[in-house]
Amino acid sequence: MTSPNALADTLQTVELADGVEIQLRVAGPAIRSLAWTIDACIAVACYIAAAIIMGMLGVFGMENVWEGVLLLFMFFFNWFYNVFFEMTRHGATPGQRFMGIKVASVNGGPVRLPQSLIRNLLRFIDFMPAFYLFGFLSTLCNQRFQRLGDLVADTVVVYADPKPANPLRVQINATPQPPPHSLSRPEQAVILQFIERAPLWSDDRRIELANLLSPLTGATGPEGLRRLCAIGLYLRQGHPSKKS
Amino acid sequence: MTSHQFEDENNHRWQRLEEVIDAVETKQPHEDIERLPTLFRQICHDLSIAQHRLYDSTIIDRLNRLAIAGYRTLERRLSGGWERFAHLILREFPQTVRQEKKLFWFNTLLFWAPFFFFAIWTPYDPEWAMRLLGPEGMVSIESMYGSHTSPHDYMREEFGSNFMMFAFYIYNNVGIDLRTFAGGLLAGIGTLFIVLFNGAHIGAAAGYVHHACNPQTFYSFVAGHSAPELMGVVISGMAGMRLGLSLIHPGPHDRRTSLVLGGRRALLLILGACILTSIAAVIEGFWSANPMDPWIKYTFGAIVWSLTIAYLGFCGRRSHAA
Repeated sequence: MTSPNALADTLQTVELADGVEIQLRVAGPAIRSLAWTIDACIAVACYIAAAIIMGMLGVFGMENVWEGVLLLFMFFFNWFYNVFFEMTRHGATPGQRFMGIKVASVNGGPVRLPQSLIRNLLRFIDFMPAFYLFGFLSTLCNQRFQRLGDLVADTVVVYADPKPANPLRVQINATPQPPPHSLSRPEQAVILQFIERAPLWSDDRRIELANLLSPLTGATGPEGLRRLCAIGLYLRQGHPSKKS
Repeated sequence: MTSHQFEDENNHRWQRLEEVIDAVETKQPHEDIERLPTLFRQICHDLSIAQHRLYDSTIIDRLNRLAIAGYRTLERRLSGGWERFAHLILREFPQTVRQEKKLFWFNTLLFWAPFFFFAIWTPYDPEWAMRLLGPEGMVSIESMYGSHTSPHDYMREEFGSNFMMFAFYIYNNVGIDLRTFAGGLLAGIGTLFIVLFNGAHIGAAAGYVHHACNPQTFYSFVAGHSAPELMGVVISGMAGMRLGLSLIHPGPHDRRTSLVLGGRRALLLILGACILTSIAAVIEGFWSANPMDPWIKYTFGAIVWSLTIAYLGFCGRRSHAA
């Protein structure tokens, strides 16, 4: 519905092999930082817990062996925590799941093991010089909010299934009327979106927006809104796009 | 047809797909599971129609979500497991090392040149090596390879158990490999720096042993694990440089594609390097420090070196008959 040449949009259009276009909602740096913060807290908690457990086991002897286990645990946790969780069916670490985001291939498919390894080994560079400065700059420089590791691994972080909105079936009281002249597809789309969302807004807001279209409706205020709704209903009812 | 009519007419099919996807996700059996591809294609068709006819965004959103979920479900593959892993180790990794010949020699030079420079120069003029190793490094080298000490006693004191040593080598050395790889993303500079420094540091240690300690102790200690460990350093350097080169010199591809392709090859190399380094950690942890006749250790070291070279040089070569 958004035109494919939209300048900047969190909806990224991807074409599947079946010729259909799907739209991915990519997640930006803010929500990803929050997810990372949660994961970092989990990591600290796990390190402390592991250190305490190994320390307690050490009391019963073989202290050095438990220290070795702790080192191995830290090594694997440090480098492969994300890989492990991205390989589950959710494709997300606990922090990402909590924030409702997940890792996916750029083509919308599930993230694969090699991709996950690449993006998480390169996290070391994204983190540099401190607190993901390189990664942050990288997310700002491309349309899909990819950090450097994502670019090499060909992955994106997207919103996990957004909650299905309750379909609104509101009756709009207006008689359908054709627009005064034929409208292009993007124009039709805008008007259709307007009448779809209008029930969610206050009267003032509806009128304010409808006023912007006074060149089309030839009226302002409540009358303009009424005419706009009439055109919208006309477009919604039938053959809106045949002429494009 | 209005969007609501469209929805009412096709809703049953969409619900069917939702059920099938749920069933696959939760690993439950479902009667329609074999129709998943058909249902998915229909959803794609419905989505195209809905997009074309500018239907309500709630419907388009729902179909979009279903198409993504269906695609993810269809695209989910079982990984190859152990068979895939064996293929990687026995074929793909040594093949890739041989294909990247230039990178191999470049990194070999990058590592061994500073190594030999410091190893040979230090006995004549230990000043530089002493700076590089620092007081702590010198103390630990002297207590390991000194005239009246043995690595075994020192390691026991320092680490307490073989397992602890092994764990430390994994944590430290494989960690360095992984950083060497990641450093390639800084246009290769990170990798260059780590490999050069590694060569210089190890060379300085070897040279310092000649200057102040007992070389026989040193060489019999490092003989066993040196082959996989040093090859691991060189190959992780290759992985990093592969990544760096794809960034600086994309060749026929655009830079993004070149990075993705280079990243895949580099991943193969770094995985192999990590495995070599882990093998070195096993040998270093459980074998190298054992008090044994030096000649047994030299023989073992020679065997490991020939095995490593044979593995990298010949494993996975296709015979012409096949």
